[in-house]
Amino acid sequence: MKTIEDIPDSQLLLFKSCMVGQEYPGVETSTRYVFDRLGVDYCINDEQSCCTGIGHYTDIFEGLTTTAIAARNFAVARKCGYPNITCLCSTCYAINKEACEVLNTNTEVREKVNSIFREQGLDNLVYEKDDMNPKTNFYHAVEILLSKVDKIQEKKIFDFSGVKAAAHHACHYYKVKYLDVLGNPENPQLIDTIAAACGAEPVRWYEDRTLTCGMGFSQLHLNKDTSLQVTKTKLDSLQKAGVELMIHMCPNCHIQYDRYQPVIEKEFGVKYDMVHMNIAQFVALSMGADPYKVCGFQTHSVPLEGFLEKNGII
Amino acid sequence: MIPYINEYDTPECKTLAETAKKSIRTPASLGLDRCIQCGACTASCPAARFTDYSPRQIVKKVLENDRSVLESEMIWSCFYCYSCNVRCPRNNSPVTIVQVLRQMAINEGIGVEKLAYFLEIGEYLSKNGASKVPGAGIKNMERDLGERWIRFKKNLESTRVELGLSSKDIRNTHGEVQAILEATGYFEREKWLKAKIQEKLLHQLLENQCIKKEYKSGDFGFENDRRHPRQPAFTI
Repeated sequence: MKTIEDIPDSQLLLFKSCMVGQEYPGVETSTRYVFDRLGVDYCINDEQSCCTGIGHYTDIFEGLTTTAIAARNFAVARKCGYPNITCLCSTCYAINKEACEVLNTNTEVREKVNSIFREQGLDNLVYEKDDMNPKTNFYHAVEILLSKVDKIQEKKIFDFSGVKAAAHHACHYYKVKYLDVLGNPENPQLIDTIAAACGAEPVRWYEDRTLTCGMGFSQLHLNKDTSLQVTKTKLDSLQKAGVELMIHMCPNCHIQYDRYQPVIEKEFGVKYDMVHMNIAQFVALSMGADPYKVCGFQTHSVPLEGFLEKNGII
Repeated sequence: MIPYINEYDTPECKTLAETAKKSIRTPASLGLDRCIQCGACTASCPAARFTDYSPRQIVKKVLENDRSVLESEMIWSCFYCYSCNVRCPRNNSPVTIVQVLRQMAINEGIGVEKLAYFLEIGEYLSKNGASKVPGAGIKNMERDLGERWIRFKKNLESTRVELGLSSKDIRNTHGEVQAILEATGYFEREKWLKAKIQEKLLHQLLENQCIKKEYKSGDFGFENDRRHPRQPAFTI
């Protein structure tokens, strides 16, 4: 199991996420805003490609393609001297971590990937066994925030005391490589602990806390009814618990809850009082970031104005 | 058309269980043989809660080497949420086994029409180095999410600039991603998939016109896990 002391704060490659870039760009800027103020040494590299997660889990990419693309991104990270891949999206995290494990332990696959690189004249991408360590080179941004929770508390300008917040920890962070979770994978508390440092009152447990968001990759598109039923189940539970803010760590879950909450309200004839944001946006806000110029709340589907006004931010 | 060979996801073996264990998609420590059919997977599964999906029964079919499971609609209901993966007391991983089964089904042309929706992702990735929601998905989202989202998407570039980001999420992959997809055989498979989808659509058309339709429910003798009506869940 990972421990908080193991989390690095330097040489982090902040791994760009396609869904963050296209749907909630404020998650990237908020993470940078917070990292800058916490003295985290990170870089962003445009040479990094998508992890293939969306195609991999809609069954269109085979394992070999996914592993080869991951090996290329590992080379990008190593070459720029920032080998600690730190993801904004839980699927990027799981895909990269798993690909690294395959590359280290499956000689046949590693050699095949390398022969592809050599054949294409991409010798600089060749991956040697143990070039990366699946346990110590892969992180989710939320782990970095948790490791700096004392500093977050010191630097907070706005105190969110009295805000009843609930965490949705992303499945691909704690259910894929469950031995490498910070804390108990049956009840992860990363987001709750960080939110508490910002003064919020985390609802540490609620019914169906570990239920998936319902996006399910192809499910949202091919079996929308079931997909939204799953999403609704958790929203119902949060409404019952009197939650006003749901905090996320993955753009896929964020889309599912924030974008589809109004759809569920309309299709199922229900009404919810929750607003949604990523944990980095929440920390940035508490450090005094601009809700629109840094957090990018104008890209959200559930309007946050009521919440921001109530807490005296706008 | 001949079946597609995909040697890393679906290595050819004597049994379904052997293929699942050897596949690149499943963990090396897969506890498939240790499955005791306890049903912790089905009990944790969001798809099982709302549909007839049952990871326990899928694993049973795999252990019995019953290839009819490949034709079952059931394998297409998994959310890939990995709840079964974390809960299994025997270190089995139904979620990754289902990924292998889907790949095996695809190789035989079963369910390929479901991939039509997502094929664009590969082309977009090779050109741009990033992924995006495919066009059909965007259309559905526009319909479901309405004005607010359409407006935001229209303003995405200026919003990104306002946030201090580049107007587009640029990825400079120097053609390397394209070269990799070429060399792993991705494009070849994509071509095969497209042809197979076409073939199936044509076949379906003919079937509807002149052949009496034999109804297949996709229900291949799975037991009913739901003998008792559901009770309201306990609330803390």
